[in-house]
Amino acid sequence: MTDLLVLHTLRCMGFTDLERIAEAAGLDTSDAESRLIDLAVEGLVTRTPGAFGGWGLTDAGKAADARLVATELDDAGARDAVGVAFEAFLLLNPELLDLCTAWHMRPVDGVSELNDHSDAAYDGRVLARFVDLDQRAAAVCAALTVALPRFGRYRGRLTGALDLAKSGKLEHLADTTTSYHNVWFQLHEDLLVTLGIPR
Amino acid sequence: MTHIHLLDPRTSADPDLLGGKGAGLVTMMRLGLPVPAGFVVSTVACREFLHTGRMPPGLEAALADAVRDLTATVAPTHDEQASPAPMHDPNTATAPEHNRQATRTPNTATPPGHDRNAAPAPNTATAPEHDRQATPTPNAATAPGHDRRVARVSVRSGASVSMPGMMSTFLNVVGEIGPVRDAVEAVFASWHSPRATSYREVHGIPHDLGTAVVVQLMVFGDLDLGSGSGVAFSRDPRSGDRTPYGDVLFGHRGDDVVSGRVATRPLGELAEREPEVWAALLDGLGRVERHHRDVCHVEFTFEAGRLWFLQVRPGGLAGRAAVRVAVDLADEGVIDRATAVRRVSDRQLRAARTPRIRAGAEELARGIGASPGVASGRIAVTADRAARMAAAGPVILVRPHTSPLDMHGLAAAAGIVTTIGGPTSHAAVVARSMGRPAVVGAAALTVDPDAGCVHTPAGSFPEGTVITIDGTGGEVVAGDPGSVTGDADPHLDRLLSWARAYG
Repeated sequence: MTDLLVLHTLRCMGFTDLERIAEAAGLDTSDAESRLIDLAVEGLVTRTPGAFGGWGLTDAGKAADARLVATELDDAGARDAVGVAFEAFLLLNPELLDLCTAWHMRPVDGVSELNDHSDAAYDGRVLARFVDLDQRAAAVCAALTVALPRFGRYRGRLTGALDLAKSGKLEHLADTTTSYHNVWFQLHEDLLVTLGIPR
Repeated sequence: MTHIHLLDPRTSADPDLLGGKGAGLVTMMRLGLPVPAGFVVSTVACREFLHTGRMPPGLEAALADAVRDLTATVAPTHDEQASPAPMHDPNTATAPEHNRQATRTPNTATPPGHDRNAAPAPNTATAPEHDRQATPTPNAATAPGHDRRVARVSVRSGASVSMPGMMSTFLNVVGEIGPVRDAVEAVFASWHSPRATSYREVHGIPHDLGTAVVVQLMVFGDLDLGSGSGVAFSRDPRSGDRTPYGDVLFGHRGDDVVSGRVATRPLGELAEREPEVWAALLDGLGRVERHHRDVCHVEFTFEAGRLWFLQVRPGGLAGRAAVRVAVDLADEGVIDRATAVRRVSDRQLRAARTPRIRAGAEELARGIGASPGVASGRIAVTADRAARMAAAGPVILVRPHTSPLDMHGLAAAAGIVTTIGGPTSHAAVVARSMGRPAVVGAAALTVDPDAGCVHTPAGSFPEGTVITIDGTGGEVVAGDPGSVTGDADPHLDRLLSWARAYG
């Protein structure tokens, strides 16, 4: 039987390395690796060597994942609830992207320039709005988790990124592969794939 | 007191009361420029609404009068279906929209040349997503085949500070008190949307300013092929050069120009296709520039060959272009040298040293500069190929948009181009996080992964073709023309010498 946990985690991350897959799926790396190898034997994932290498899905893997998550969704009777939560997510998404943009760029005299992070007060205000948005996002994550428990992992990953940012490692807002933005983006992808909505 | 101020040359152009948009429209009217008729509901009314949760006493009655006066002259006695000739009565003209908000609705523009009676889309309102469901739909009556003799208005926010795209805008609202009141209330209420609140928090804008609301007769850039919309700078915002510069879309409304959904044409095409509109535009640009003593940026629509100005903003140029404009304006005697020095901030001086693409290369497309810097490399049209090709040298990843499936391509690429999407898109955020130059919304490009090439108006380019992108100005050019920094810029040298003199 196809390992949907690892397959779907990788589908939503896109293309990444073993450690990050394991972390996102909540597995230790050796377990995650053996599961990936099984999926590779099935022809659903492949590992690309080289400097920009990593694990990714094959076309067959994408098709299998789409089929399996649709079945999972309907078996759980969760299509309507996930759809409603997705609408709520979409209300928050522009604000999250605004905040990521505010983190990177700052309008000065009406002109948008790179934020050089020399103004701690400005960066602090951006962080405060991430925290505020996260409180509203928590309700969306909770609703999703009730509908389909596997969505619960996103809450922990988002909180983890935000806690790092709050502790002073502000690059975890939008600059790292495990940043709040990146996890948010994977959640967005997950919702689209789960509901079968083309991007 | 009245909270309603006519768009009229005799009205005081006070941005605190009318908002920046309203004050700019009055200023243009004073300069004799064509502006669609309308009125402004003041920021004072908004503040009272936000404070009490209700429209101020008497506002509804005053609004009803204003709507009636505005639309009274519109209901034409002729039957448009019987006489499709363009209307040139300024009172029947209507105003387009240049709404910068990232509307989630798909492209609702009707194709060029459509019959005006075959109205645009059923609901062309561009309400921001946050209140998509909560707000009334002021233009619900805009159904195909509706009676065009009912006046249509735009209802737009206009704060005294720049909050681009943060509040609601409604287009094609039926010009009657009910729908207009609902739209005005929805714009007021959108001041407190979480997204707008976050924007103000981050950028230090007081929460109690409120927004004015501009109500104007619609003009239709999608009326026919003699209609269209555009944005124009009085000088080239990339270089500061004394040449008007901008984008135009024939047969489209203004929201298509700024959305990145439709490939725009260079402004100069107006000169050939609509010489009268072009002449009027140049005249207007000259007047607003002389008035503001600075480069200006306008949004405009032309309807059946007639030009209307919809917005003006002075300034807004960055880096080297800002330096060049300040020096040229001093040379032209428009401002003095001390003013020129004052206008260019230290930040802009630093930005003036950002590398920019060297002029002269063939421009394949222009999108929005989303992450500054210049990058050259070979075209790759999928993330997989970008990751493979990067081993042999720099790659520019060109995608319609990006998803997590593109992460390895984004990591491998020296620069990123998307054909759709705006400056807050995923591709833009990721590119900035990686410090990679990026151009988004380069709508003139079409990515063809099956054929392994990129189609452009100048022809098709297979994967492996070298291109160069500029993530400041948004240019995508053929080959590798190299880049220039501001260090050897004669305008910068002169400005710095003035700065020392006035030190």
